[in-house]
Amino acid sequence: MRIRGFFLFQRYSLPIFIILLLLFALVLMSLRAKQRKGVEFFDALLMEISSPLQKTATLVIKTVQGTFQQYVFLINLEKENRVLKQKVAELQEENHRMKEMQLSNERLRQLLQFRENHSPSMIGAEVIGQDPSSWFKSMTIDKGERDGVKKGMAVISPAGVIGQVLKTAPHYAIVLLITDYNSAIDSIIQRTRSKAIVEGKGENRCQLRYLLRTEEVAVGDIVVTSGLGGNFPKGLRVGEIQKVDKKGHGIFQYAELMPSVDMAELEEVFVIMEPLPPTQPQGEKGKKGKKTKK
Amino acid sequence: MKRLVLTLLIGTLFLILQTTWLSSFPIRRIRPDILLILILYLAFLFPPIFGGILAFFMGYLMDLFSGNVLGCYTLSRPLVFFAAQFFKERFYVEGSSSQFLFAFVFALLEGILILILMNTLQPISLGNLYPLLFTFLLPQSFFTGLATPFLFFLFQKGSSLLFLQPEKGMKERA
Repeated sequence: MRIRGFFLFQRYSLPIFIILLLLFALVLMSLRAKQRKGVEFFDALLMEISSPLQKTATLVIKTVQGTFQQYVFLINLEKENRVLKQKVAELQEENHRMKEMQLSNERLRQLLQFRENHSPSMIGAEVIGQDPSSWFKSMTIDKGERDGVKKGMAVISPAGVIGQVLKTAPHYAIVLLITDYNSAIDSIIQRTRSKAIVEGKGENRCQLRYLLRTEEVAVGDIVVTSGLGGNFPKGLRVGEIQKVDKKGHGIFQYAELMPSVDMAELEEVFVIMEPLPPTQPQGEKGKKGKKTKK
Repeated sequence: MKRLVLTLLIGTLFLILQTTWLSSFPIRRIRPDILLILILYLAFLFPPIFGGILAFFMGYLMDLFSGNVLGCYTLSRPLVFFAAQFFKERFYVEGSSSQFLFAFVFALLEGILILILMNTLQPISLGNLYPLLFTFLLPQSFFTGLATPFLFFLFQKGSSLLFLQPEKGMKERA
């Protein structure tokens, strides 16, 4: 009987293996959905191993891209001018580096100013990678649990809201962008103070859900965080309304939003370590000022 | 074992390229899924058990660096691998056009599977995602298909250099 069983196993070993592997994948999906600690630990371990490679690759790619732009187009020039051209290339490279440094300085100064204006309880992080899949919108940053980053923390930039921390490893974290289908942020429209939920729509677009049809919303209105979710402080800019549609049925209207941050161009971000005091955007300040005059 | 580790390292390198270099392309929709192409190639190179484990691990890595909460790729990548193994002898995949078609169909099928998983298994309703089939999935699969002949050629060269016997995997299977 045992021998027969063994031969049967040998005969069906491949289908059994395939079924077991797929079952294991399904069990993993279920564990992830339940947010079990064991899976999170294994995730963090693997992320910790692979992220330094990602960081190095980003650095190499940035350097190569810069050099490529400066040098490659100069290769096919005439021989007589080669020395001169090389000199020009060197100067251009130097100029490029200086420009890059200047731009980086400006960006960092802006970030520093933003941080000083708001709260010291934020840490700056560098973006080291984007989502490998085109279905989901996330990015990897070079700060993790050791730096105090925790799951659910808000990630912002001087231009506005970026997203929130989804997974953490000791030195790295994955940030779920506001443009992802799984992202939802409690927000208000700055002009009308109408409440709505900003949900990701992929491809650098978001939509406003649960926005009452009776609310007067117009293209160009600015949407800011409401501060109700707990993760994001009140008054941070989320984006600008691009499209309003009241044609459908129901009690809600549809509005499409363009995020104030270009997610593809992000290089540095801030992670909010503790809730900030409510910020007063300039438009809002002006509006309140008028009200008090009246 | 050496082949397994080396392929895993190549897979990790491809994942890193996908998260860094390919993400810097101005139009995201034309970003080919080079990791999927590698998995399709593995179906020709590796026996089912080793290849299945590799595909599973690469899917897991993909989920790790993605905003994907459930881990759809851990399931879809081994499925793609086994399906490609099943169909590899039923199709002629030597020419560029057939390689394009092979990858295009698999990219499309995997996309549909992920779309269905996203629509059914997510704890929150994501609304109607099916229009994405035309606006996003088709162009993405098309460019994955376009990149396949070139990458298959590179893999063939690379595997003959690295392993000396690229067809060993099929022999092992037999």
